[in-house]
Amino acid sequence: MSVAGVTETTQYLTFKLDDEVFALDIAKVREVLDFTTVTKVPRTPDFMRGVINLRGSVVPVVDMKLKFGMSTTQKTVNTCIIIVEVVVEGESAILGALADSVQEVIDLEPNQIEPSPKIGTRLKTEFIKGMGKRDNNFIIILDINKVFSADELSLVQGANGLPAASDQ
Amino acid sequence: MEEVDLIRQVFLTESVEHLQNIEDCLLAMETNPDDTDTINALFRAAHTIKGSSGIVGLEIVEKFTHNVESLLDKVRRGELRINADITEVLLKCRDHIASLIEIETDGRLLEGELKATGEALKSELLKLLGAKQEEDKKIEASAVVEAAPSYNASETSNWHLSLRFSQNVLQDGMDPISFINYLSRIGEIVYLATLTDTMPSLEEMNPENCYLGFELEFKTDFDKKTIDDVFEFVREDSQIRILPPHSSVSSYVELIRSLPEDPLRLGELLVKGGALTQSELDAALQEQDESKGRLGEILVKDSVVHPEVVEAAVEKQKRAREVKSLESQTIRVDINKLDQLVNMVGELVITGANINQQAQRLQDGSLLESASAMSRLVEAIRERSMQVRMVPINEVFTRFNRVVRDICHDSGKEIELVINGGDTEVDKTVVEKISDPLMHLVRNAADHGLEMPEARAAKGKRAKGVLKLNAFHDAGCIVIEVVDDGAGLNKEKIIKKALERGMLNQSQIQTMTDGEIYRLIFEAGLSTAEQITKLSGRGVGMDVVRKNIEALRGTVEVSSQENQGTTVSIRLPLTLAIIDGFLVGIGDSSFVIPLDMVVECVELSEAYRESKDRRSYINLRGEVLPYLRLKDLFEESSEVSKYENIVVVKYLGFKVGLVVDNLFGEVQAVIKSLGRLYKDIEGVSGATILGDGTVALILDIPRLVSIAEKMEHLVTDSQ
Repeated sequence: MSVAGVTETTQYLTFKLDDEVFALDIAKVREVLDFTTVTKVPRTPDFMRGVINLRGSVVPVVDMKLKFGMSTTQKTVNTCIIIVEVVVEGESAILGALADSVQEVIDLEPNQIEPSPKIGTRLKTEFIKGMGKRDNNFIIILDINKVFSADELSLVQGANGLPAASDQ
Repeated sequence: MEEVDLIRQVFLTESVEHLQNIEDCLLAMETNPDDTDTINALFRAAHTIKGSSGIVGLEIVEKFTHNVESLLDKVRRGELRINADITEVLLKCRDHIASLIEIETDGRLLEGELKATGEALKSELLKLLGAKQEEDKKIEASAVVEAAPSYNASETSNWHLSLRFSQNVLQDGMDPISFINYLSRIGEIVYLATLTDTMPSLEEMNPENCYLGFELEFKTDFDKKTIDDVFEFVREDSQIRILPPHSSVSSYVELIRSLPEDPLRLGELLVKGGALTQSELDAALQEQDESKGRLGEILVKDSVVHPEVVEAAVEKQKRAREVKSLESQTIRVDINKLDQLVNMVGELVITGANINQQAQRLQDGSLLESASAMSRLVEAIRERSMQVRMVPINEVFTRFNRVVRDICHDSGKEIELVINGGDTEVDKTVVEKISDPLMHLVRNAADHGLEMPEARAAKGKRAKGVLKLNAFHDAGCIVIEVVDDGAGLNKEKIIKKALERGMLNQSQIQTMTDGEIYRLIFEAGLSTAEQITKLSGRGVGMDVVRKNIEALRGTVEVSSQENQGTTVSIRLPLTLAIIDGFLVGIGDSSFVIPLDMVVECVELSEAYRESKDRRSYINLRGEVLPYLRLKDLFEESSEVSKYENIVVVKYLGFKVGLVVDNLFGEVQAVIKSLGRLYKDIEGVSGATILGDGTVALILDIPRLVSIAEKMEHLVTDSQ
């Protein structure tokens, strides 16, 4: 049983958040950086970690773990920033996603991808494109455009005028 | 295909300029209808639009402009005098051409209203052309009477053509001989002389250049236009002069004077060709022997030509030369190329700052020296590259001549537009973006601010209202003022509207200053206009004006006095790309405060720090200075540092202190956008990259202050 929209073998970049393995369509990934200094933008939700300097451009960095309700990503030697290209409100934008570690690039056939379960992932279903089968484990394939959709990021916009809702 | 697009693109940019030129000229002629320079410029602009629209295949534009050109040609030849009616028609034609260009480049069809307008304008043009033809006859008749007793008109019935092709004509793919061949197909060449005066010596001669000039006597029944059209493709670079039959001697003299060759030799040629009689020339030659003067002067003495005519001709040539030299000193550059350049200079500034820091760290004397020499150069390059993008604000201002004129025309008001400081320079992007908000403000002032002449008279004011546009530089900003001497803003009306809309409550009004009340007009949904007119009260409102200006990191202020007028002043940064900033540290983060807002820095003394929970103002040399604790505002959780400083910033005339942990000093901040994700963040206007590669945020002081105000209101309201 395959997932609608996935009809050919696609390459995915896998990465870990805590112990769970996630994957991203490689076509969306620009590059992977080591964790560098992130400048926090005041009065924004915690999962918006801030901005970094990517060769002269200012690129926002999102903490996916916080976004998915896990703990804050701690800096380790393996911590990476995955630079992805997403479409926000019809325009493409570059942003960085924090990951505890980046694993490998894998090929997945359409028949290796299962539809996402309604419950059990502790993630919003629309964030998940499908579940990739590999060996005996499942990999959560993220729909990065949904994760960083305008609605999700509107939390940022909620921070105007008054203290952000995500205050300690 | 691509090339055609490219040519069209060039045509589009140029046509905008030409149309603007036409408008400027027409407006100038309202006050000075007989200025030949303006008339010529006007004709040239229309002619160029016609010609180039033909080349890029915009036939509708070409056809319509042709009629305009014919009319202007008559004006140019002095057969028709510009008056208010003609100006009105021509202005409408100009607008029509602009719309035609727009629809035809879009590939849309000419239909509906636009087509009707076109037809109407065309018939008006033709009417004017016809009317003037009758006048023509009168002028001709009177000319004959004048000419009879003197020898001012030459006897020849031939056309005289002077051809000086540009040296590049062969390289451009044109052959002069084919033009001459073509001429012999539409008439008879009576006489042809080839001039080789400009031919250099054999060593210097470039066989691919054309050095020849031609003088022709030409007999034809066709009109000047037809002959002129023969040279359509070479007219730009070449000197083509056509004198109709029976031209006055003075036009021949002017011709001789304007050509590069020896006047005497030309004179002989003219006689040989039969353009002038020997006696006319003899008289001139004789004089020349006696006085060694130049042909022009001789003819003047001989009263063949009036001195003013020669003077005018000479003056005109001189001016033409000046204009030409100016033209050759400017080049048209794609704005993208400039942007790239500015971007790279921005990177250079960052890298330079980095090198400086490294040099500081290493404490190597010679390295420090070179590093500082380099930063000086980089600074110079930065300034130059910024200047490249600077254009005079007049580019926008002159547009309003027409706007104001039209408003007067439609509403019956009398308004004088006064422009001050039009040559104040500002970044091209700023000019583009400020155009719409300014248009709105000008229309508002003219439409709502200034009263009708009777109303003004009743108030004891001059019937003619004054609308001023001022621009000047002030503390790293450009200030643009729209000043009118009209009715002023009506405070009661604003308050009433604001109450109706529920934007305010009664108690708030009690505490509001006049300035704050006037500021309400920039809020959405508050229009004090009683009726919506053709000109304003629709489309963008004052709130959009404010938003547009704030998007440019600018501010807008309004002051007003009842029956004295209203002043709206807009304050904009000179450039959008780089600012001089003051780097401060709060906790682990660095922030940049725009340097032009920083007044001074003072230490936050121990006594105040201890009482920090109670109040947030200090005594600054006897002045009350309220301060904001940025750390609290930004919810930075780091510990309170040992020393805190206050950066005093001035904003809209009042001072605020910002409490920060560290003062790092001045930096040049290349402004980077935070991107769409952070587009609605308040208190931060952008980011910049520091010498060490980290990102620092640029503080938006006005917004910070308003956030602090809101938070304080929350606290006080809950008490």
